[in-house]
Amino acid sequence: MKKTCLSLLIVLAAMWFSAQAASVPDQAQQQPGDAALAAPVSQAAAQFALPTLSLDKTSLQNGGTITVTGKAEPGEPVYLELWSEQQVRASRFDSDPDKQTGVRPYILYMTHNLPAVYRIIVPAGFADVLDAIKKQGGKWSYSKALDDLGAEAAYSFPAQAAIDRYQATFLGGIVGSRGDKLTAMDDQENRLRSMQLIKVRFRSPGKLFEPALQVAPDGTFTAKVTLGKGLAPGAYHIRALSGKNAASAAASFENNISFPIIYLSNAGTSLNLFYPFLLCLVISIFGVLMGAGGGFLLNPILLSIWPLPHTVVAGTVMPTVLFSQISGIYNYSKIKFINWKLGLSLGAAALFGGFIGPKMTELITLDQYKFVFGWILVILALLMFWQTTPAYLAKNKKEQAVLKECKLRAEQAAKTKKEPVCDPKTKE
Amino acid sequence: MIVEFMGQEFKINIWLGCLGAFMISIVASMFGFGGGPFMVPLLTVGLGLPMYLVVGSSLLAIAFNTVMGSVRHFQFGNFDLVFFLIMFPAAILGGYIGPKIAKRISPLWVKRAAVLGLLLLAGNLLGVY
Repeated sequence: MKKTCLSLLIVLAAMWFSAQAASVPDQAQQQPGDAALAAPVSQAAAQFALPTLSLDKTSLQNGGTITVTGKAEPGEPVYLELWSEQQVRASRFDSDPDKQTGVRPYILYMTHNLPAVYRIIVPAGFADVLDAIKKQGGKWSYSKALDDLGAEAAYSFPAQAAIDRYQATFLGGIVGSRGDKLTAMDDQENRLRSMQLIKVRFRSPGKLFEPALQVAPDGTFTAKVTLGKGLAPGAYHIRALSGKNAASAAASFENNISFPIIYLSNAGTSLNLFYPFLLCLVISIFGVLMGAGGGFLLNPILLSIWPLPHTVVAGTVMPTVLFSQISGIYNYSKIKFINWKLGLSLGAAALFGGFIGPKMTELITLDQYKFVFGWILVILALLMFWQTTPAYLAKNKKEQAVLKECKLRAEQAAKTKKEPVCDPKTKE
Repeated sequence: MIVEFMGQEFKINIWLGCLGAFMISIVASMFGFGGGPFMVPLLTVGLGLPMYLVVGSSLLAIAFNTVMGSVRHFQFGNFDLVFFLIMFPAAILGGYIGPKIAKRISPLWVKRAAVLGLLLLAGNLLGVY
């Protein structure tokens, strides 16, 4: 058995290093911000005056309303594009069959350069169209929404985000590698994929579009743009686009947040730090009482309260229980209450599982995460229910008595430095 | 495999145990929870081991999963340090307060409340209401 465990560990270590080499993300990202700040000059702009715009405030305190006023060429449609300087990560696993060939591509698209907040402010007349898009639920398409709202030309900042793509393979999935990095995409493809990533990141049309723009016949426009609470701090930029390609210079303002509200840079969300603290405290107390770790309750509740990515929730909640587990192991090991042969054998298998699982978190969408988690909770509820049935309770009463007795003997043996012995059959 | 514990010997099918532990730990690390409530029944019901052997050894197995899962999540950039620093003290504090309260209330009613709470949460996740 020892030999088996050892060889398992060696194989695992080899997999670990090979995967590490393959899956380290490309750190040298280009920053699309600088290029985008310069308004694209086009042929249309040469004929018309470029739109202008100004803001009534230079800063907001954890959200608020800012009024944008400006002037564009009369009769031309006007859109405003708003983005934050703070950037976030997004990834999408494309496993939808190709419409023509039916082949599933299994490509992972990943970027670190989406703005933490992105929005296109459309003329107020489009409110009905936007409502219709919202009614489609989770199946809405961002690129189609841009078309329907006439905002296709306004979408430009995220289109320049550097997107990496990886060809996932079954074997790669097992060893936990993202797969081979594919060649960079052309601008058109990058633009299309960035739209899909935007949808993955922001999910609801209400966050991406705001029908707040009033345009007068003489080309002057105003919009009251509302930034909600809990958004990224730092600089925000707004620019106006009118006609096909004429964009104004960007106007900027700051969104300030102050303690106890803090920004979680990886999750792209600001929150009052006391709320997750209290939630985690209550859940971990309840976890001790019901005999199941807090993660079962904490993860879905966190996801339903704050707009956090499920990858960040899973990856951050998991290590919080490490301390209690290790102190538990330490306490049990002091009184020799752990069977190392059994624990290490199962632990070797658990190491493999722990190696594969986090990779798969990245490959599923938030909806799939919620769906599977829902069924896991149903199974857990059934398990818990089974533990409240009379037959189980009667059996458990005996088992708990034996457990208590054996633990006591183990403690005594540890004090007298003898080998602990506990035989429940002879005890009765 | 024969497991010896406190003067007793138990014959178990370790391959079944490892397969179960492997599958539980994939799901646990994928969704970011511990997995104890599944690991304990696997060992008691699946392998027929007594509770007094299972409590310590299952914790050891799960800790391996937690360590590896945490490292891998970190590697894939799923770890938010600030968020962790908020929740970590709360989890430790909960670990101290929990056992003190546990002595005073009936575990049966906690389990019943947990069943209800879990079903409500599951209903929310599955979009039932």
